[in-house]
Amino acid sequence: MKFSRKLLLWTTIIIALTLGLSGYYFVNYVFRTSLNREIGQALDENSILRFAFETAALNVPVKYDLLQDSSVEQIASNLETGGQGTGRLLRLSDEGKTVLYASDGFETDDELLKTVQENQYSYRVIRLGDKYYIQTGSSVNALGRALHLETLRDVSQVFAERDMGFTVFRRLTVLMLLLDIGIMYFIASRLTQPIKLLMQATKEMASGDYGYRARQVSNDELGQLTQDFNHMSEALEQTIGQLEGEVQAREDFVGAFAHELKTPLTSIIGYADMLRSRKLDEEKSLLSANYIYTEGKRLETMSLRLLDIIVTKKEGIKPQKVQSEVFFEYLRSMFLPKEGMEFEFAYDQGVVWADVSLIQTVLVNLVDNACKASEAGGKIEVSGCAVQGGYRFTVRDFGIGIPAEELSKITQAFYMVDKSRSRSRNGAGLGLALCTEILAKHGSKLDIESTSGEGTVAGFILQEFENGAVRGEDFLNMQNAEKGVRHEEIDS
Amino acid sequence: MIKILIVDDEKPICDLIDMNLTAAGYSCVAVQDGLAAIDAVESNDFDLVLLDIMLPGADGYDVMEYIKPCKVPVIFISAKHEVKDRVKGLKLGADDYLVKPFDVTELLARVEAVLRRYNKADKKIVVGDVEIDTEARRVMRAGNPVPLTSKEFDLLMLFAENRNVALFRENLYERVWDDEYYANSRTLDLHVQRLRKKLGWEKNLVAVYKVGYRLEI
Repeated sequence: MKFSRKLLLWTTIIIALTLGLSGYYFVNYVFRTSLNREIGQALDENSILRFAFETAALNVPVKYDLLQDSSVEQIASNLETGGQGTGRLLRLSDEGKTVLYASDGFETDDELLKTVQENQYSYRVIRLGDKYYIQTGSSVNALGRALHLETLRDVSQVFAERDMGFTVFRRLTVLMLLLDIGIMYFIASRLTQPIKLLMQATKEMASGDYGYRARQVSNDELGQLTQDFNHMSEALEQTIGQLEGEVQAREDFVGAFAHELKTPLTSIIGYADMLRSRKLDEEKSLLSANYIYTEGKRLETMSLRLLDIIVTKKEGIKPQKVQSEVFFEYLRSMFLPKEGMEFEFAYDQGVVWADVSLIQTVLVNLVDNACKASEAGGKIEVSGCAVQGGYRFTVRDFGIGIPAEELSKITQAFYMVDKSRSRSRNGAGLGLALCTEILAKHGSKLDIESTSGEGTVAGFILQEFENGAVRGEDFLNMQNAEKGVRHEEIDS
Repeated sequence: MIKILIVDDEKPICDLIDMNLTAAGYSCVAVQDGLAAIDAVESNDFDLVLLDIMLPGADGYDVMEYIKPCKVPVIFISAKHEVKDRVKGLKLGADDYLVKPFDVTELLARVEAVLRRYNKADKKIVVGDVEIDTEARRVMRAGNPVPLTSKEFDLLMLFAENRNVALFRENLYERVWDDEYYANSRTLDLHVQRLRKKLGWEKNLVAVYKVGYRLEI
């Protein structure tokens, strides 16, 4: 059963019970009060009649010592008619409880009569036909006789009022219940709306729409639940997006790999086939052989680079405490003999936590890329400085730059901004992918800023060696850095 | 002369196709990016375009869309080997799709086939004193008809299309008989002997040691 229906059903049951019980109690209470009042009046009437009877008895002319039965009848008849149409009903009996006088319609048994005692009123509620009466009884002493006086008071009205009360209350209860069902239905659906919305959201998400969010309609616990649910789906969506991204990246990688593999293979197979099956002149033979060689080399470069990436991915790094100077000395020895470029090294002293050969690979790659992007004789700045939370290496060139829309793709494997250009310089499009991999192992990442036509700045931050003393020293270095860095400019 | 445009960003592959097509008697122009390809198609009348898909400038699909109204037949040559890529290429209106790495003889055959479909191929191939009518499948030698069986004719076509190229036994067998080559089968040699005799090519159809045969003209 739906939650809102349950809520509705139970509140309806509870309201029906409480309304019924309280109504029954209330009507009964009113009835009791009225009945007690009637009883009081009936007893009063009895005592008035008794007094009147005694008074009348005294006025009877004294012939006998005893009040005669005929006198009793006379007085009783007078009393009955003295009621003046109020329907006064009475009955008089003698000492032996034999009826001396009874009004018309006084047709009760003598159960009450049996219990009547001297100087004591008694009563009972009886039903005659379809009417209710209060029967009262008392003893009357007149002229040496002990008679019994009984009266009947019609209280059908009180009973009719009670029945009427119940009827009215039943109708009222039904009406209230209907009203209550209407209101509760509205309230229940309002209260359960967040649940419905959440259900909708789970269904949408189950069917694959991870971007679907439940609408928050309240600020109570259910609203909180909705909020938490949305948080959860956001996290879920992100994770799924990430996974999809990874799958896409893997597919792209496989596609790019196949392409990069097939292109040199096509040339190698094609030229080799030509060489073996055709009589070629010397120039063409040389050209073919050369293509086979260069394309073979290209495959070799690619496979070595890929191997590097795979090895870096699989194996852990062996970081150690290194002076930043080591890297710059290495770069200087690598690149200074290279002709046609102008290098500038500027760095602070610093100690970093790094795997030396891997970080050297990254730096060599970055400088290599800078060389590839630059015209002959272009300037390349390599700098290092202590920054907050680490030591930053930067490689800047003033070459062709990278178009903004390509910037996000350049760390993808096999991606080359300018294929023919990077091919001619023996590129496989894997350098930055390798750098990204190595830096990820160091808990760092490559940041590249570039303006097409003006040059590129590539850099990364390595964590400093974690030691209080070193930190202090580096803090000093940071301050010194502003006053004046060690500057070296070498032209080659 | 049939003019073919080669579009591929890899110079070695352009050269490879160029050399082979030129040797087969076509005139070739090679460009290395998509925009240059569009320019070339617009300014020249090409009979066929060999189009790579991954191109700088504009990719092969874009180039295809653009040159479609020119009604130039196109063969895609791409490393993308998946069915969806091939279907996409063909749906765009390409006449054929060749996956890298490809065999040069296959490339030549497909070029031939597409050109034939557009009635652009030479209907008559002349090899020395032998004239081959590719449509009528008739062969004349010095003006006299030479009766050839169907297989002999297919074999002759292969040699004629690949003049001065050593053709491998396996290749010849598979292309003519559409069947796997069995190492000891003499069927091929028998047919070559018959061709030699019928066409007087005893000196032209030479056996290449450990390879197969070559037609030398």
